[in-house]
Amino acid sequence: MNLLIMIIFLLISALILGSALAVVMVKNLIHSALWLIATFFGVGALYLLMEAEFIAVVQVLVYVGAISILILFAIMLTRHVTGENERQLYQRWWVALLVAAGLFGLLLVPTLRNYTWQTLVPQEGGSSGIASAQELGRAFMSEYLLPFELASVLLLVALIGAIVIAFEERSRRRRVLTLAEEVALRQKQREQAEAQAQTVESAPSATPES
Amino acid sequence: MTAETPRTSNVFVVDRGEPKLRGGQGLLAGLGVVIRHFGKAFTKKIESPAESSGLFTVQYPEERLAMPEAYRNFPILLYDDQTGHELCTSCFQCERICPPQVIHMTQASDPTTGKPVPAVAEFIIEYDACMSCGLCAEVCPFDAIKMDHEFELSNADHSTMTVNKAGLDRPISYYESIAPTMWAEVRDGAMKKLQGNMKRRSGDIGIAPPMKGKVQTSAPAPAAAKPAAPAAPAKPVAAVGANMSDEKKARLEAIRAAKAAQAAQSGGATPEVAAPEASAKPVAAVGANMSDEKKARLEAIRAAKAAAKAAQEGGTAPEAPAPEAAAPAPEAPAKPMAAIGSNMSGEKKARLEAIRAAKAAAKAAQEGGAAPEAPAPEAAAPETAAPEAAAPAPEAPAKPVAAIGSNMSEEKRARLEAIRAAKAAAKREASNDES
Amino acid sequence: MVEIVRYLLGGWLADWLIYLIAYIIVTTILLIVAPLTMMMQVWFERRAVARMQDRLGPNRVGPAGLLQSIADGVKMFTKEDIVPRAADRWVHLLAPVIAVAPVMFMLAVIPWGRGVVPATINVSVLFVVAVSSVSAVGLMMAGWGSNNKFALLGAMRAVAQMVSYEIPAVMALVGVVLLTGTMSMAVYPELQSGIPIMGDTLSKYGVPDLGLGWFIFTPVGFVGFILFYIAVLAEGERTPFDIPEADSEIVAGYMTEYSGMKFAVFYLGQFVLNYALSMIAAIAFLGGWQGPGVGLLVATGEPFLVFLGSALSVLYLMIKAWFLFFVMIWLRGAFPRLRVDQLMGFAWKFLLPMALVNIFSIAIWVSILNWGSAQGLWFLDDLELWMRQLIAFVVTALINGLAYYGLLQLNARPKGLTGADLAEEQAFGTIGLPQR
Repeated sequence: MNLLIMIIFLLISALILGSALAVVMVKNLIHSALWLIATFFGVGALYLLMEAEFIAVVQVLVYVGAISILILFAIMLTRHVTGENERQLYQRWWVALLVAAGLFGLLLVPTLRNYTWQTLVPQEGGSSGIASAQELGRAFMSEYLLPFELASVLLLVALIGAIVIAFEERSRRRRVLTLAEEVALRQKQREQAEAQAQTVESAPSATPES
Repeated sequence: MTAETPRTSNVFVVDRGEPKLRGGQGLLAGLGVVIRHFGKAFTKKIESPAESSGLFTVQYPEERLAMPEAYRNFPILLYDDQTGHELCTSCFQCERICPPQVIHMTQASDPTTGKPVPAVAEFIIEYDACMSCGLCAEVCPFDAIKMDHEFELSNADHSTMTVNKAGLDRPISYYESIAPTMWAEVRDGAMKKLQGNMKRRSGDIGIAPPMKGKVQTSAPAPAAAKPAAPAAPAKPVAAVGANMSDEKKARLEAIRAAKAAQAAQSGGATPEVAAPEASAKPVAAVGANMSDEKKARLEAIRAAKAAAKAAQEGGTAPEAPAPEAAAPAPEAPAKPMAAIGSNMSGEKKARLEAIRAAKAAAKAAQEGGAAPEAPAPEAAAPETAAPEAAAPAPEAPAKPVAAIGSNMSEEKRARLEAIRAAKAAAKREASNDES
Repeated sequence: MVEIVRYLLGGWLADWLIYLIAYIIVTTILLIVAPLTMMMQVWFERRAVARMQDRLGPNRVGPAGLLQSIADGVKMFTKEDIVPRAADRWVHLLAPVIAVAPVMFMLAVIPWGRGVVPATINVSVLFVVAVSSVSAVGLMMAGWGSNNKFALLGAMRAVAQMVSYEIPAVMALVGVVLLTGTMSMAVYPELQSGIPIMGDTLSKYGVPDLGLGWFIFTPVGFVGFILFYIAVLAEGERTPFDIPEADSEIVAGYMTEYSGMKFAVFYLGQFVLNYALSMIAAIAFLGGWQGPGVGLLVATGEPFLVFLGSALSVLYLMIKAWFLFFVMIWLRGAFPRLRVDQLMGFAWKFLLPMALVNIFSIAIWVSILNWGSAQGLWFLDDLELWMRQLIAFVVTALINGLAYYGLLQLNARPKGLTGADLAEEQAFGTIGLPQR
């Protein structure tokens, strides 16, 4: 059983790593976004392997269903997509490799050496640990209430920000009038013009003629 | 705002008032309408275009819509059911008016004389270019070409789209079945014209191909000998008119001589130039080919006329011989025609003579009866003489006015008398002025 | 299915292989059922909408036109597969796959009958929501991969529509999760037994189990059903929300450059999605496979009768799903299309607030049913369950009705304005709503 899990884990990891590499290496930006979606799916599969059903499904829902669409919209609406003329590898690529490997090693090696991983044996029948929806809900409402509320405030801020950016003042909104409305508008304008003309006339006529 | 456009007409603002706040009732009402249509579509089938719900699909070709009478597809030619004669006389009106010029025809001609006959020898319509406008049917004076309702003419063989007379002929009963009202409007006139045309067709010219050999052909030309005709008293030829010009007289004599020669050739008795005599005008015998109702009508008219004449003249009523059935030669003398009026112009007189001669010939051929007699114009006493004709003698003996024909109707008689009175008055005045 | 395979082959096969074989068989069955259902749906839709339009539908191919779908399938198979030259080949190819595969995933978690669930997972409601949002990515790819500005615009509008209407759908389903306390859809039909409105709270008094205790008979369930059904119409791109696929709208939207089999895949996905969502609506609100007789048959315990009860339950779900599909067709025959701005305004300004209020009233319902003096509601302590239910019924009906009316007023067009005022102040999205 452990062998099967290991094989599946390796396969999923290969998928994730390969997709991630493809994200940074393909020339077409839309293709990068699509490989990113593959990566997200892979991560969701990993969660499933760890029996965190809820988180797996939420991963798919949030990342694939919402964030990747957002990324696609952003790409399509903002910049020139096909960068076929751009070089994918810079000339001093070995410098970048050194720096990246160094930083990653700095992060990874001490963690691997000093931390003992507590792996839970998968249990048959039912969910375990904190990954079930009920447990998560209870934790949100008791232990992690403040982060929960802060997250909702953050979402509210994002909504308001979007509205503020996209908002158009009503006076600047153009609307095609129906025929009746246009007639009424002309009528009103005419009346206003007449009223103005009358006031203009009555003003000089009020002054006595010498 | 919208672009400024000049207002060409008034703008009417429709004020529907304040609409109520709706919570979706309109949506539900719409759903109700649709589900009612759904239900009706299973139970009801639309019969007339005025219905608004129910199935309106006509599942062609199992079901077909009835075509209205005036529906026009391609033209067809009509022929009479009983006699088999086509109504078409090849007058070329339809060929002239056809916009895509798809009608082509040739006129039939008499095989013996070579003269054109009011019948059509060959008639071709190219159906593939015909646009079914119906102008040919509109313009036909003889109601011979009509628009058919048949539209399922698809064919893989293109040559079938050029249809000749045999393919175009349809019996009148067929057209009556598809367009009864339209045919009823024109039937009388068309049949009357057909009768007239039939008389001028000889042999089996003008008989539709389906009926050839099934109907009796019409009588041969009048010039041909009629074997059944006995040595009937030859028809007397009309007297030469007194006002004819000399050349006309000569022509008339020549024609008569030719006719006499022909008659002598064929064996008939030489017609005698009858002396114009006045006699009571007997009424013609009833024709053998008349239908019963026509006979009755004719009898009634004659009775009325006889009564009127008796009332007017007090003279002997003309004898109406009893109608004889199917006798090829009724013995009653044929009715004499009105005397040739003395006021007629010369050419009119000559025409009248010619017409009367032809009629007499035809009648003689049919009945072999006595020829009508034309009373002498001088002998006919004018009915209405000038009341003061005894004035200083006019330059010439007063031209006797034509006797009033026995076939005139009452009003016509009255009009004639009025005209004659007016003329007489004018003549008096003229004579009075002169003198 | 696992038990059946284990019974047949359990002797000499490893356990995981048994599972694998079982799931492969189940998947095959599902993948056969889906296109067959789609063919029946296409026939049903064409005939029903034709009758609503006073005409017959297809009736020449096969008896009553039943083989018309097969003829259409053959036509789509044999059509040439055209890919625009400048289009992105792989994106163009994968788009129908990604748009349609999630729909097949959905079919796996639906309880087709009593005891007939292909895959039982704890969070099946969330799973359904998650995979339905993946097909939006497929639409995006279709619009982009066609290298066609109109397809791209159509795809963006379609994605906006899908994403906007997911939210009221999820909110309505969240309400059901609140009511039932579980996210596992397989359990929902079992909880909807009993009699209307009261559910099975009266079963202890001897009222028989009619299988009619559906959530739709409660005010919260009714509002939730309406919200969910409207959102389902928009998710599946049915009239009146069919802007992406309507012929008169930007050609064919994101499907413009697709012909032949790829278009057939889109078409299949759309119909199966509609059917799957109808089934989910039936399960969540109309009792799923519950119906008169199922409970009684199952309670007897005899194997044959239990089997009969399961078969009956499958029939009930099918009837309900097909009825909901018929209502979709009915709406298609009756209503004109919404404009895209009306569509978005409807989702964000009406459905979403209504869904939030519905969640609030469901919470009130649950609290009235379950709380007592421990939460400070001492007056609820001694009441029987059915009494609590009645009180909850009245209270939630009031809340929902007030919210509905309030939202109508809120979204109505302000009255008493002249044309000039309208031009200056009128919010673009409330044109067409009744006057205040």
